[in-house]
Amino acid sequence: MTHLRYGGRTFLLEVVMIVVAVAFLFPVYALITLSLKDPGQIAESPLSLPAPPTTGNFGAAWSAAALGPSLANSAIITTVSLVALIALGSFAAYFLARAQTRLGYGLYVLFLLGIVLPFQLGMIPLYRLVTDLGLIGTHAGMIIFYTGIQLPFTVFLYTGFIRALPREYASAAQIDGAGHLTAFTKVVFPLLRPITGTVLILNAVFIWNDFFTPLLYLGGSGYETVPVSVFAFVGQYVSDYGLVFAGLVLGALPIVLIFLVLQRYVIKGFSSGLKG
Amino acid sequence: MSVSTQPSTRRRKRRSGALSPPWLFAAPALLVYAAVVLYPSIAGVVYAFTDWSGIGDMSFVGLANFQAMLGDEQALGSIVNTLLITVAIVVVQNGVGLLLALGVHARIKSQTLLRVIFFAPVVVSPVMVAFLWKYVYNPAPGAGLNGLLAVVGLPSQDWLGDPSLALWSIVGMVVWQNAGYSMVIFLAGLEGVPAELHEASMIDGASTVQRFRFVTWPLLAPALTINLMLSTIGGLKLFDQVFAATGGGPGYATETLSTVLYKQAFVFGKFGYSTAVALVLALFVAAVSFIQLYYLRSREVAQ
Amino acid sequence: MSRETESLRNARISRAQFFRMMGGLAVAAAAPATLAACSTQTNSGTTAGTGGAAATRLRFVGVADQKAPMDALVAAYQKVKASVAIAPSYAPTDQVQTSVRTQLGAGNAPDLHVVYPGNGSAMSMNQIASAGLLADLSAQSWAQTIPTGFKPAFQHEGKTYIYSAGSSVIGAIYNKKVFEKAGVDAPPTTWSEFLQVCEKIKKAGLPPIALGAQTPWVTQLITYALVPSTVYAKDPGFDDKQAAGQTSFAQSGWRDALEMYLELQKRGFFNDNPNGTTFEQQTSMVATGKAGMAIQVSAVLPDFRKSAATPDDLSMFPLPGADDAAQVWIPAGVVVGLGAAAKGKNVAEATAFIDWLGKQENINAWAKTIAAIPLTQDSSSTIDPVLESFLSFTKDRAVPFMDQRWPNAEVQPTHFAVVQDLLAGEIKIDEALKKMDEAYAK
Repeated sequence: MTHLRYGGRTFLLEVVMIVVAVAFLFPVYALITLSLKDPGQIAESPLSLPAPPTTGNFGAAWSAAALGPSLANSAIITTVSLVALIALGSFAAYFLARAQTRLGYGLYVLFLLGIVLPFQLGMIPLYRLVTDLGLIGTHAGMIIFYTGIQLPFTVFLYTGFIRALPREYASAAQIDGAGHLTAFTKVVFPLLRPITGTVLILNAVFIWNDFFTPLLYLGGSGYETVPVSVFAFVGQYVSDYGLVFAGLVLGALPIVLIFLVLQRYVIKGFSSGLKG
Repeated sequence: MSVSTQPSTRRRKRRSGALSPPWLFAAPALLVYAAVVLYPSIAGVVYAFTDWSGIGDMSFVGLANFQAMLGDEQALGSIVNTLLITVAIVVVQNGVGLLLALGVHARIKSQTLLRVIFFAPVVVSPVMVAFLWKYVYNPAPGAGLNGLLAVVGLPSQDWLGDPSLALWSIVGMVVWQNAGYSMVIFLAGLEGVPAELHEASMIDGASTVQRFRFVTWPLLAPALTINLMLSTIGGLKLFDQVFAATGGGPGYATETLSTVLYKQAFVFGKFGYSTAVALVLALFVAAVSFIQLYYLRSREVAQ
Repeated sequence: MSRETESLRNARISRAQFFRMMGGLAVAAAAPATLAACSTQTNSGTTAGTGGAAATRLRFVGVADQKAPMDALVAAYQKVKASVAIAPSYAPTDQVQTSVRTQLGAGNAPDLHVVYPGNGSAMSMNQIASAGLLADLSAQSWAQTIPTGFKPAFQHEGKTYIYSAGSSVIGAIYNKKVFEKAGVDAPPTTWSEFLQVCEKIKKAGLPPIALGAQTPWVTQLITYALVPSTVYAKDPGFDDKQAAGQTSFAQSGWRDALEMYLELQKRGFFNDNPNGTTFEQQTSMVATGKAGMAIQVSAVLPDFRKSAATPDDLSMFPLPGADDAAQVWIPAGVVVGLGAAAKGKNVAEATAFIDWLGKQENINAWAKTIAAIPLTQDSSSTIDPVLESFLSFTKDRAVPFMDQRWPNAEVQPTHFAVVQDLLAGEIKIDEALKKMDEAYAK
């Protein structure tokens, strides 16, 4: 940490940063104030504070978008995919980071390739595959999809982090007679906590927010996720900004809350991952 | 510390081969990745050599789709837009991200709150952000961003409607959403700069700028590498935000490679041609990012 | 080295914390089995409580505009036929187009899905039917009563493949209060009168016409409203001649229509910055009295009414595209409909549902929800009173929306793009027409 006193210059910087943050929050201000106004108030003074604020939009949006069941679907799909990603991703990355063979390097590059491929390329063959496996309209289909599609990025983050870890820990454990599996689960994996926080939040953001894939695979199955419900609803009430923005707020709220809880890990994860 | 069994370098070297984990560790991940990404992408490449509409019958046409691309004004124009957007996003997003990181890294009291505020847009879906920003970009005077400009005495703008401005408005939106992402990565780098170095340079009487230039900046190299790579890939593949904000318009002013390949496949019903465009995009992104990674990594080592 | 050890120490101290976090995840991961068993299905409500699970479940994927009428009719069908449950999902047009095309391409289409009438888009009846992917509906009784003028919208090679509840018209949705304040007593019936009305509203200090050209499909509506008068009133056989290569956009009244479009802009009759204004903003401008009118399709009347304080302030009149009132024609197109997948597992049940939709009372119900003119009418049919002034046209002075006869899906997006470019002053009319002709020839 820089050992500066909290002097005049720091105070000035603080003021500047707060002004920047306020400007930065302007779209959020518009989002929240509009969601608290009825159409009349919006027409009159779109940018003022809502006076008086009305919460009617939220109730209406909740029931019109049928958000209750969708929240459960999104929660299941997101949670199980994250567990799978963390398990598969960390194991694979441990091998990729530690193996000093051509195979290890080749596989790492192969995984990185997944980050650059446009998703449209494999869309139809993948849909065929999922159909043949009977996984259309199921949670399992979505979970496998998200695990596969997010593995490259997950492996990328874990590999970078593990490379920066000293090897001695696992080696020491193995000298003590533990196998690779024990060394990984008992010694290495717990050390991955910071990057796991990062992996968790970034993947959760992607999976929770994804709109197109669940529409494609779950549309009409009755297992719709939150974005699918929200956008069916948004499309129907396009010109009623208060109602639409209330729907958008409700749809984004869970992931924003998860972020607030985990935000410490996000920054930590990156900072430890970059060392070395 | 509990780590008493630090092996010597020689011993570690000898043992490292034996201690590297078995490849089976990577097998489950590889299996899922191959099934969901690799196999479908390879199977999809076949369409690039057909005239398939996306439904019904198809026949092989060899390289005709790739030849057609050379004479396709829209596809070529979209390459220019894609490059402009990418360069702008890479420069502005990382510039803003770096400044924000330096700001919240200093000893200000609102540090934690500000970090959360700047990162928060990252967690919201791009489509939702585009929807919100279309409201912010309302061209009517007094509405949205123009209302804010009026307060400080600046003239109204036609953000998404003016063909010479629309591209930059989209860049603004993307930067707003992703600057926090760059900030966090730079912040991670900054937290790795040892305090002693700063103190030493302050004792030497170095100015703030000099300290940044000669102490902080070189140590940010790994953070910069990751930021440049991620924002370049993100810029080249940018789709959701453009599509939701302008759909490529006005006219063709914000058409990117991603929107072109989308339209060819799902609006025009030219799936084969679209796949050819996708393939070119993929090769392009892969080439750029691997060159970038190679160059930046070698630069890191040099420092 | 010191940094690394420090980070490791930190990691170690809070390992317990970490395991708590992972433990929480594991519990959550174990939960789905139980949760899924309860009720995460959003649409199962239709079957619950009506006496056991439905034997057949039909998937329907539609566009957001179809949600209101379909939700009501699906619920009604449940009462008629408890053994079939229809699970609908809706999304904005672009996403639906992408997902249904992918499903069609992969050979697993939803049992029922949105289909656009005629030709001219990737989800249009002609394109999908010619790939053999739509079930033939020709034998159904409602299909025998399709009015002759609408047959091209419903039929491909003589067979019916799409159900649609009726037609909508394009005209001016206007705010009566604004017209009154500007001193306009009656809607205009000729082009010169129309320009005078606009002039009056402009003098009253409001933009006469709200144009939301940022939303691509909105760009086409003014041209579509004018072309029936400038092209088809003079040459009803234009489509066939164009298909035969005997005429083109550039050689026809399309040029006049675009000139009239730009004249409106040149005279300052649009809101500022139409290219940056969205459909939603356009709607709200007219609904709240901040603009006089919008040239729109009647199907969006419900949207305008939803954002108006007093919905009765809104009415509609045909846009007169000629100076001789007798030469004024209007566009009347079949509204977006649905079809059944030809190769689905439940073709029989899916077509049975469409057959039921074809009953007059259901046509009436659907048409009423979206302010459309019912496909066929009986004594219980209602027509939205604001469409009154269109009815004298619909018999012999109405033409389908232009894209329904275009040979490929590229002409329409090209039209969107050239209109935006014209409004921005980036290109001239000659170039716009040339681009459209090129797209037509592809």
